[in-house]
Amino acid sequence: MRPLLRNVAALAVLTLVAGATLAWFAELTEDEVARNRLEAETRILRELVALGTADDDRPYAMSTNGDLVLCERDLVVLQATGSGYGGGMRLAVALGLDGSVKGVRVLAHAETPGFGDILNTPSAWLDSFTTGDVHAVTGATITSQAVIAAVSRAVDRVRLEEMCPP
Amino acid sequence: MNRFTEAAVARNPAAVQLLGLCPLLAVSNTVANALGLAVASTVVLTGSAVLVSATRKLIPEDVRLPCFVLVIATFTTLVNLAMEAYAFDLYQRIALFVQIIVTNCMILARVEQVASKEGLGRTLLDAFGTSAGFAAAILILGAAREAVTFGFPLAALPPGAFLVAGLLLAGVNVVSTRSRRRAGGSRGVQD
Repeated sequence: MRPLLRNVAALAVLTLVAGATLAWFAELTEDEVARNRLEAETRILRELVALGTADDDRPYAMSTNGDLVLCERDLVVLQATGSGYGGGMRLAVALGLDGSVKGVRVLAHAETPGFGDILNTPSAWLDSFTTGDVHAVTGATITSQAVIAAVSRAVDRVRLEEMCPP
Repeated sequence: MNRFTEAAVARNPAAVQLLGLCPLLAVSNTVANALGLAVASTVVLTGSAVLVSATRKLIPEDVRLPCFVLVIATFTTLVNLAMEAYAFDLYQRIALFVQIIVTNCMILARVEQVASKEGLGRTLLDAFGTSAGFAAAILILGAAREAVTFGFPLAALPPGAFLVAGLLLAGVNVVSTRSRRRAGGSRGVQD
């Protein structure tokens, strides 16, 4: 066989085998991975829901867009998205019905490790949102501004939309 | 000296060849993270080396490097998926550093220098030896950093990794220089 053909054939076969192996293994682990992600997210949302004032154990309704509105607890948990340094990020923001921030958690992000550590709970910086005194973080300007913008959009939504019509 | 101890001690990837330092420094902040990365690297290195050694006569000389990288990338992705499915907590902490095992020159070097030329037995011994050497280095660094964190908080942060690793390497050099001198000025175990 000519060398060029042999090279192409070897690479093609290897690529096919690698692709097939990966596809098989990805399908094998798909359910487990999805369950792990859902569990991690549920744990975070539970933490935020526990921030509500009234301690009743009535079930809460989840609206179609994935936001939690718990009128009797004076609490809404909104999903917010932002655009950081490494790509998109997803947040869950717990707010009072007056728009006061009760808690901020990051569900998924792609920021540079080290610089993005301010997004991993427990994070004093994320907790600073509840005080209203938030500063951008040196070295992570774009990351922190993305979070600040996403949280203020969530605050605006609570203030502008009628979350709990009488 | 047999191939295992030669690969693990005399040619220790981290302490002697200074390869694979990026994950070594980044993930050695705790012993648990260090152990996770050591296991992941071992699986990737051993799997890639065995596969390349078994198929070494089929891989054309001209395109051997792309082939090796493809094999290493496949094993890395498999390990990454397995961790995401079965060790999610660890995955959330060290996923990025497992993914960049692909670019770890320690693994490509072993595959190119040993697995692509030698039989399964020697390749396996070399892969296990190199993995053991890397695991020992990352665990010692992780343990040292965790141990001194209380009196020296900087050790847990990135700059601390460089300081502690530098001190450990200096220690290794002192010991190996002394033992070489005692051996009568010859280069001793190095070759």
